[in-house]
Amino acid sequence: MKKTYFILLFAALTALFSACQKEGVYKTLIITGQGDHNWEYSSPVLKQILDGSGLFKADILKTPAKGGDMSAFKPDFSKYKLVVLDYSGDSWNDATKTAFVDYVKNGGGVVVYHTSSSAFPEWKEYNEMIGLGGFNGRDESAGPLVFLSREGDLVVDDTTKGMAGTMAEKADFEVRTVNTDHPITKGLPVRWMQAGDVMLGNLRGPGKNMEILATNSPRMQFRRPPAGTAPGTWQAPPPPRFEPVLMAVRYGEGRIFNTVLGHAEEGGGPAMQSVGFIVTLLRGAEWAASGTVTQEVPYDFPTAAAPVLRPDYLPVTLDVAFEQIVSYDISKSTKYYTFIKSQIALAGGDEKALLAIERKMVDVLKNPQATADAKKLILNELSWMGTEYCHQAIIDLSSDPELSDEVEFALIRLQKAN
Amino acid sequence: MTQKSNRRDFVKRSAAATAGLFVFPSIVRPSALGLGGMLPPSDRVVIGSIGVGSQGMSNMRDFLRLKNGIAQFVAVCDVDSDRQKQAKEAVDAANRNKDCRMYGDFREFLEKEKLDAVSLALPDHWHGIIYTETINKKVAVYGEKPLSRTIEDAKVIRAAAMKNNTIWQTGSWQRSQSNFHRGAELAINGRVGKIKYIEVGLPDGGRGIGTPPVQEVPANVDWDMWLGPAPKVPFRGVLHWDWRWILDYSGGQLTDWTGHHVDIANWGAGMEHDTPIEVAGHGVYPAEGIYNVPVEYDFICKYANGIEMRVANSSRLKLGMGTTWYGDLGWVHTDRGNVLTASDPKILEEVIGENEIHLYKSENHYQNFLDCVKSGKETVAPLEPAYRAILVALLGEIAMTTGQTIKWDPEKEEIIDNPRASRLLSKPYRKPWELPTI
Repeated sequence: MKKTYFILLFAALTALFSACQKEGVYKTLIITGQGDHNWEYSSPVLKQILDGSGLFKADILKTPAKGGDMSAFKPDFSKYKLVVLDYSGDSWNDATKTAFVDYVKNGGGVVVYHTSSSAFPEWKEYNEMIGLGGFNGRDESAGPLVFLSREGDLVVDDTTKGMAGTMAEKADFEVRTVNTDHPITKGLPVRWMQAGDVMLGNLRGPGKNMEILATNSPRMQFRRPPAGTAPGTWQAPPPPRFEPVLMAVRYGEGRIFNTVLGHAEEGGGPAMQSVGFIVTLLRGAEWAASGTVTQEVPYDFPTAAAPVLRPDYLPVTLDVAFEQIVSYDISKSTKYYTFIKSQIALAGGDEKALLAIERKMVDVLKNPQATADAKKLILNELSWMGTEYCHQAIIDLSSDPELSDEVEFALIRLQKAN
Repeated sequence: MTQKSNRRDFVKRSAAATAGLFVFPSIVRPSALGLGGMLPPSDRVVIGSIGVGSQGMSNMRDFLRLKNGIAQFVAVCDVDSDRQKQAKEAVDAANRNKDCRMYGDFREFLEKEKLDAVSLALPDHWHGIIYTETINKKVAVYGEKPLSRTIEDAKVIRAAAMKNNTIWQTGSWQRSQSNFHRGAELAINGRVGKIKYIEVGLPDGGRGIGTPPVQEVPANVDWDMWLGPAPKVPFRGVLHWDWRWILDYSGGQLTDWTGHHVDIANWGAGMEHDTPIEVAGHGVYPAEGIYNVPVEYDFICKYANGIEMRVANSSRLKLGMGTTWYGDLGWVHTDRGNVLTASDPKILEEVIGENEIHLYKSENHYQNFLDCVKSGKETVAPLEPAYRAILVALLGEIAMTTGQTIKWDPEKEEIIDNPRASRLLSKPYRKPWELPTI
């Protein structure tokens, strides 16, 4: 009896230990507490996004308030695989700065979120870590302006003088993935929309060991005088600059992901809810913590067509999609249907995965609560990917006049090549 | 369809065409009897248009612009009565009369009109039926790309054209542009060495519109006829032009543009009679909204001759839009805007020798069609290459939908060992519409 208890206890302890050590759960420290940015809104959302992925477990650490005593601010970086900076404020004490530099040099991961690249203009090592930054008095002495040309070539402008950092009006804007070889951006659409964000431009910095992964997508301007312009009065605008939006930097053994995205409002707001922001943050964070990215590009990653939001910051699951599809109404949302289609493609012909989806589809067909539109969509998919399993459920709908076309389509198609 | 059989048939057909003109002389006004620099009626091609939206009107105006009034338009057909009137005005102005006949139903148009040729520009989901029915009337056809919405439709259209020895010109007008012709001729004559790899960049998908509310159908539009064989859905304002962003009617930029740059790629690679044996890749679809075609796409087609062709939205490719043939000695790239570039500028100066391959030369796509209607010769963009081009896009679409590598049997012309993917080769039609039999 005693022995059994011991074994059970041992098993429980082992389970607990392995849960803590579970591969891929990266202990993360979010540092916040000061900034021009709405850090009170953003930091809990960052934690929610990171924890919600199942890959990270984040603690939030607040510095003393602006003007407070920073001497006691001494986080133990060594406990963490990843440090997320949501901070732009008073300088840290020298010991903390040294500890942070050592942490990164020895392989620590860092995410520089949104305006955190404006922090510490005077701290040389920090500026090397972030690659590019702006504001707080940064000028040409901080480094060259760095951006891409229209042709996609890297431009390092060390002749133009002036202050670093501009903040655009809040807007939806297009982001271009310019490096599809890097683990963070591999497989992402090349053009995608970010919602309601504040683009930071005109950034300067040393840009050493830095890869630009994505840029903004400025509107093409007239390269010729508009009709009716008086001769000699028109000056061609400078060629458009494709300014960095996502950057990956190596510093010693460490990896730093710098994202200009994610303007925060109360409760997060559209920029933080944008799937483009959420997914690149999570991919950048995983890369910074481990050097690899194991996450699939999700089906709801935005395209050039439109931004996509996750109001709850969480990815859709098959269960949620099928729960939602029951009340499908095209005028409200199509994303759960798109999700189901994406999961069919992702299954890539795998019989087991497809049958699991087919079972859920048949449940919708049998569900008296499900809308006719929901059943039409399901019938359309089953018409090509269904098996014997769905056959009777389709026949059972034959008497529904609203579904007669779709039932007939499905039955015609299912007879083919069977 | 070889050139030989075409030539054999030419005498027969031109006799028939001439007979047609004599039997129905009333369709040519006496006021236009070969005077004032115009061709005499017997030398003109009597033609009508089905689908006179933006592309159909553009084609008609290009036909009407040809010198000597060779294109004698007599009738137009559209499900939108405003468009009918607009087209009739253009035709009447060219004919200096009021005689252009208008139709809302293509069946009536095809039944009543006795024509030499028909110009077709319709949403893709209608191609299977209307292209085949028009071909079955034994007229010459100028048909817009892409050939069809599904592979089954494409097969039926092709079989009908073969049976009728149809003079066919696809709206793949890039073939009549000198830079594309020259680029293809350099490629096919080995100026980049042996071709190993081809890259084809087509447009990115554009902005969506969400899902507009259900609204009243404009009085001038026959919505049920517009939908035709496609699923019945309420009208949400998506009609002319914008149908291209909905899968029920089109495959998006991919299927639209395959008839341009994939067609040119095949022309220059000598693959006008080839279909890939393996296709794999992926598409990116908008998560939200009524527009549901892929806005990004990227897939690889493997051909039996070892050549690989990558087809992708242009932002994914270094050279962007257009066709690039890569050989073991270099590359040649061609695109709209008279673009013709190469890995080495010397390639572009190469002279094609007398005994080398000289590709069909056409200076004007519309003139070429009408010349061929009269001569019975093959056009610069006959149906077979259109068939090969659309198969690339549609097999790509199936690969993206299923997430699988699709294997194609070029002899049997079917997907190998994949019942699910095979079902995507066709779409059932909504009653009472049926794909015609040949």
